[in-house]
Amino acid sequence: MLEICDLKVSYDETEILAGVDLDLLRGDSLAIIGESGAGKTTLGLAVMGLLEERASGRILLDGKDILSLDEKEMRKMRGKDIAMVFQNVEDALDPLMTVSDQIQEAISAHLEKGDPREVDDRVRRLLKSVGLNEDKGGSFPHQLSGGEKQRALIAMALANDPQVLILDEPTASLDAVTKAEITCLLRERIREKIVLVITHDISTAAKLAEKMAVLYAGRIVELGDTKDLLENPRHPYTRGLIRSSPNMTTTKDLQGIPGRMVHGVPGCPFSDRCTQRIDRCRREVPLLKEAGDRMIACHRGGIVPLLELSDVKTSFGDFAAVDGVDLTLYEGETIALVGESGSGKTTLAKTVIGLFEMDDGEGEIRLEGEVLTRRGRDFYKKVQMIYQNPKESISHRMNVLEAIAEPLEVQKAGSPSERRAIVKRVLEEVELPTDDAFLKKYPHQISGGEAQRVAIARALVLNPKLLIADEPTSALDASVQAKILKLLLNLQEKRGLAILFITHDIALARKVSDRMAVMLKGKIVEEGPTSDVTTCPVHPYTMKLLEVVAPHLAPMRGARETRDGSGGLWEVSEVPPLRAREL
Amino acid sequence: MQDLEMRHLNGPEVGWDGQKAMEKAKALLRRGTFFSNYIIAFVIILTLNFVLPRMMPGDPLQAIYGEEALLAMTPQLEAELVSRLALDQSIGQQFVAYILALLSGDLGHSYYYNQEVLSVILDFLPWTLLLTGTALVISTLAGLILGIESGYRRGRQLDKTLLAGLMFLSGFPDFFMGIVLLLVFGVVMGMVPLSGALTPYSGLEGLPLALDILHHLLAPLAALVLVRVTSAYLLTRNTMITTLKENFILTARAKGCTEGQIKYRHAGRNSLLPVVTATGLLIPHLITGALFVEIVFSYPGVGWLLYNALLTRDYPLIQGILLMVTVAVLLANLLVDLLYSKLDPRVSHAR
Ligand code: SF4
Repeated sequence: MLEICDLKVSYDETEILAGVDLDLLRGDSLAIIGESGAGKTTLGLAVMGLLEERASGRILLDGKDILSLDEKEMRKMRGKDIAMVFQNVEDALDPLMTVSDQIQEAISAHLEKGDPREVDDRVRRLLKSVGLNEDKGGSFPHQLSGGEKQRALIAMALANDPQVLILDEPTASLDAVTKAEITCLLRERIREKIVLVITHDISTAAKLAEKMAVLYAGRIVELGDTKDLLENPRHPYTRGLIRSSPNMTTTKDLQGIPGRMVHGVPGCPFSDRCTQRIDRCRREVPLLKEAGDRMIACHRGGIVPLLELSDVKTSFGDFAAVDGVDLTLYEGETIALVGESGSGKTTLAKTVIGLFEMDDGEGEIRLEGEVLTRRGRDFYKKVQMIYQNPKESISHRMNVLEAIAEPLEVQKAGSPSERRAIVKRVLEEVELPTDDAFLKKYPHQISGGEAQRVAIARALVLNPKLLIADEPTSALDASVQAKILKLLLNLQEKRGLAILFITHDIALARKVSDRMAVMLKGKIVEEGPTSDVTTCPVHPYTMKLLEVVAPHLAPMRGARETRDGSGGLWEVSEVPPLRAREL
Repeated sequence: MQDLEMRHLNGPEVGWDGQKAMEKAKALLRRGTFFSNYIIAFVIILTLNFVLPRMMPGDPLQAIYGEEALLAMTPQLEAELVSRLALDQSIGQQFVAYILALLSGDLGHSYYYNQEVLSVILDFLPWTLLLTGTALVISTLAGLILGIESGYRRGRQLDKTLLAGLMFLSGFPDFFMGIVLLLVFGVVMGMVPLSGALTPYSGLEGLPLALDILHHLLAPLAALVLVRVTSAYLLTRNTMITTLKENFILTARAKGCTEGQIKYRHAGRNSLLPVVTATGLLIPHLITGALFVEIVFSYPGVGWLLYNALLTRDYPLIQGILLMVTVAVLLANLLVDLLYSKLDPRVSHAR
């Protein structure tokens, strides 16, 4: 059993590890993921007792504190009880020694006095167990391919059948095919051990470890089962990390995380880059706490639900346009609401923004956890809407400056000159000119694309948390549409804007949304991660929608419906829960 | 050996038999170019040695034998010399005669010693070999060991002391160091003999003789080693510092290797390579150093011989010595190159 308690490591005044706690039992595999510089490797080296800096805290292996051992005792444990597989970088193996000799050294280092023949035998068995031909043993590192070198490194780490195995970027710098082979080999060989996988490569981590810890600036910010954590990241940083990592099934464009990692920030380490930060975040360090199925270090309990709809109904006379909708939209995420016209999408949106009355009854709309009763100024500060036709949001009697500044005036924010400055800033954000000539233009003097940008600027000027976008680009040319969508995604990345994106175009929805909700006759019939919904739809209506836009993909979808565990977002092998709801 | 080597080269991906032959041919070609460099250098030296005296203005015989030797020359002797060097024939034939003479070990005749040049040199050569050989081995080994220990303890007391001390020593020229040693240990303290390579007419044999030789060797050897150890030391120390940062050191530590294994087997061996190369480059430097030190200690080696030949203008002897020295330098470099490829599998087992 490996216990890490309050491990802290500083280097030149900066805290590389700022208090890490972990408990691992035999058979546990944990991936530590995070950007470079987060302290992942330091953590691995600390467990190996190979740190040059002083570490405080405790690392207990079966009750023995590694940090308190002297170099001599530590040497006896290294490679025997705890071993490390290094990344196959240029010089991970000694260039002057044959592979066999290097493996043999790993064995003899822990033998009082070994029978040379027996040692040779063990070397041969080890070579075989990592899939290396026996005569490869006599080769020097420069004669081997990257994959073969990695195998040799693995053989070395396994030489004494260690209890704890640390894999440091075990597949980085390998080509895709070799990577798959090595991953396979590792999966075979690491059973029954305590395994720490240190990597920035999320898909490798997902294949090798059952649990996952996200390290940020020396602290663990989220810890949970690999599958849950990847499918449903709950710390803002984890979500950012996953959003910025490409894989074969995500459909949304890659997004980054604003800013960069700095060590030693007071309060929450992520607070500089977090879009849902509150005052407390700068003052107090959030502790890693149990939250549902995992542990999260966040004062707000992770990504907060911004908008929660439960059993929302809107009827016109006897006709129920929206017929009992449940939907949760989280901070900084996009939900695409798709369906044909008349399915109730727009009615739902207008109910949220307050243009239509919700039916009396059980139904509830919550914004930031509070039930919405009436919508005052405060509400419109947080929620804004843009329409298919920008003219719906901008009056033709107002010029650009007036149109964008109007919400500020309604909110009585700032002096006229301050407002003007704010308007210019927002105009820059939406990539429009800020000169006086442009500010004085009237809607009929600018193009459709520009008008939509002005509408977006007007919606953003109050810095809302939620933007409801009703077919915002369907009246625009394809090239303008692409630019507007990029703009929305960038704003989301920068401000943590949540977007409820309403469209009939499922192909478009696929590129911009994290989750997708399919609406039919006033109800949501299917909802889930966009990539899942679009690759293996469960509801017949969704299939029909997809078939219309991509008929050639239909057979593939059929094949994937009964997933055998090999597909899925990050290839976490388990059948995902059923998303379809009965009509 | 070759076969074994080829087997490693053949991965499972090798499809056709011809590859093996190709590899073999390539290896031979490599070896060929390796030696041909030395052969070319050797030929150039021989040619220069032949052409230079003959291109001097005036009588080639005078250029070859020097004025003073010619003063005592009878017409009979002159005729003999002319025919021996084929001076009355074409340049081509002269060159052939020159090469043939060299092949039979004929470097000319020293009129000062009245002996064949070759046999004069051979009388003195063993002492020089003893002096430079031991100096080379000791200074390189000491430099290596000190460099490894110092680099491993970078920034600590031992490292700082060694670094400062050896830098100080390396500032002196060899002959100055020789003079200082001679004065302090020979003249003032009387601990070492002032000249010679052994006590003359002592009739010693066996171990006492060896000790006597060692006693004479000590001071000149120390002068050479003290000045020269620094370059090997500095190079080893610096390489050691970079090598210790390499990843395979971390791999070795993670395996549980002992400090000694890491220091010598991994870091040390890898730091050795540049030192071997540098040692090869330093050999000419060492030989010139030895020439001066021999003069200071009147040590009967080739350096001392050269000094005397210069004083007596014994041209044939001077030329013979210079030729010998250049060939020795060449040979030493060849040895270093061979040693290097033995030490580094990346050279001998190229992929
Ligand atoms: S909400 Fe606060 S505590 Fe949570 S991640 Fe953001 S800055 Fe950190």
